[in-house]
Amino acid sequence: MTVTNPYEVQISPLVEVIDETPTIKTFVFEPAEPIRFRAGQFVQVTVPGLGEAPFTPSSSPYELERLAVTVLKTGLVTDRMHDCRPGDGLGLRGPYGKGYPLEKLGGKDVLIVGGGVGLAPLRALILALLHDLSSIRRMSIKYGARLPAELLFRNQYDSWTSRDKVAMEVTVDAADASWQGNVGLVTALLAKDRLGVDIANTVAFSCGPGIMLKFVTKTLLDVGFKPEQIYLSMNRRMSCGIGKCGRCNIGPYYLCKDGPDMNYAKIMGYANVF
Amino acid sequence: MTVYFAEEGALLKFLKTAGRGRTYAAVRREVGCEYAEVRPESEEQLSLREARPSASPKRFFTPPCERVASYSVSGADKPPPAADAEAPRTLVGLRACDLAAAQYLDKVFLEGEFQEPGYAARRKTQIVISVDCTSIHKNCFCDVVGGRPFAMGGFDLNISPLAKGYVVWVGSERGQALVDAHKGLFREARPEELEEVKRQRQKTSEELQKQNQGLKLTDHLLGLLGKLEDSDEWRKHAARCVECAACTNICPTCHCFYLYDRAAGKGRFERIKTWDSCLTADYSRMAGVGGVKPNPRPRLRTRFANRFMHKYSYSPQQYGLLGCTGCGRCMEACFGAVDIRKVLKEIEQSESVGAKSKEERG
Repeated sequence: MTVTNPYEVQISPLVEVIDETPTIKTFVFEPAEPIRFRAGQFVQVTVPGLGEAPFTPSSSPYELERLAVTVLKTGLVTDRMHDCRPGDGLGLRGPYGKGYPLEKLGGKDVLIVGGGVGLAPLRALILALLHDLSSIRRMSIKYGARLPAELLFRNQYDSWTSRDKVAMEVTVDAADASWQGNVGLVTALLAKDRLGVDIANTVAFSCGPGIMLKFVTKTLLDVGFKPEQIYLSMNRRMSCGIGKCGRCNIGPYYLCKDGPDMNYAKIMGYANVF
Repeated sequence: MTVYFAEEGALLKFLKTAGRGRTYAAVRREVGCEYAEVRPESEEQLSLREARPSASPKRFFTPPCERVASYSVSGADKPPPAADAEAPRTLVGLRACDLAAAQYLDKVFLEGEFQEPGYAARRKTQIVISVDCTSIHKNCFCDVVGGRPFAMGGFDLNISPLAKGYVVWVGSERGQALVDAHKGLFREARPEELEEVKRQRQKTSEELQKQNQGLKLTDHLLGLLGKLEDSDEWRKHAARCVECAACTNICPTCHCFYLYDRAAGKGRFERIKTWDSCLTADYSRMAGVGGVKPNPRPRLRTRFANRFMHKYSYSPQQYGLLGCTGCGRCMEACFGAVDIRKVLKEIEQSESVGAKSKEERG
């Protein structure tokens, strides 16, 4: 029996690097061996000789040849990624994890709550749902960033909301002269009267900084969501990505294997969730 | 299958020479014994009648440092595969707790969606010859975690020491082939010899039960462990921990690891898997904006608790097995004299604390 080696990487040249915000770039690959992922699954990206880090693709899972990750410059690996240019080779392996439970969304309202670079993995979900909107009832997107300049994928919101069934609201923590929109935390967009969904028939997905997830969860529970209706993109340090190295656990769950998007009902009883 | 008997001299000769590849055996040292390489001509005294060695044989299953992959950039050749990754090895003198640990590690590295090829290759070529415990260490508590001081499976051959000579049990076709290849050294065991094995096993089991009276993994205790993750109860236990990772290194089932890449020539890199410990502060520290590095378990007591919980609460949910074999090695290794049995006992008595802590957590 031949066992494929899960630690082996595929060196893949970058075909495009897109400046999204002053601190966020999107890196586009066209891997020789295409990586077929479900929205919400992640890949491990290696900077040769330096190390690797997990990222959930921000591109559509239906775009089979291309795979993009959208990355905030925030540490050893991501700093070096931000120095990369088209043609530079990075390592890829994956996909890993469960992916978003799209099969549970038939006939449902879908609420998507993003913060900062957290909109990146959620874009894969949004694009997957846009690919076939007939299965869901509607989609409401709530997104917040610290500053107007830090809003991710800003030129794409109109094309998303131009579709039937899709609504989106955006807010920033601090406005500047150019900003006419909402000011405040993303949780302010989750007030019952502006949610834009039928709560009892909704599944919510959220990704963002830990502190944001904590308050998004609290707010959603306050307005009447049940823990089972909330999926959180939980992020912990990962090394192997395949449920063996031990470090990304919440209770008995390994986020790399059982997540990274976890149903809140599963993890709420454990300590150190947020 | 036939059960065999071998005289002392015949069995020792067999154990040193019969295996495939290098042989690693429990050998006597000035104090206790340890797993070390033995060669046919070496003077090493095999340790088949003492309590288990202080260090576990984990390194023969998953080495402390191992190349698991390699890659190259800019058209450089890929580094050649590691030389002896799949060389056969013979392990002699493993105790029942060591086999229980191997069963656990098999679940981790061979089951689920992804197998680890290095581990799989080693397990496939490895010959395992285990031995009944005829004496116990003062820290042994395998009986408390569902173990026994003798193995019922998971071996190619198992040895039961008698007052004079040894009874040899066959556990696999490979084990039978080894015996068949050295027929002159063995004869069929007699009923009175099998009786002696039974008595000896009973005796060791009773010694263990006596030693561990009052310690029981009750549902009540396991339930408490499941609730206490962030409780103050852990503060006093963790106060003794100096975060040295000796317990996780010496533990036969602790398997946390870290992958890092290093240069292996121009444009070539190799990926190294190395043992890691969930007790260290930077174990799960993440990258963060502005130098803020989020850490889900910043406090030592929560990391200390996590290790306990993994052994007794999470592992049964993940693998259907406890993550503790009761070998008691962590107590020998610990600088702070943390006694895992004592911690369990005190947790059992701390119900009120547990309830309070849950309330505090909201």
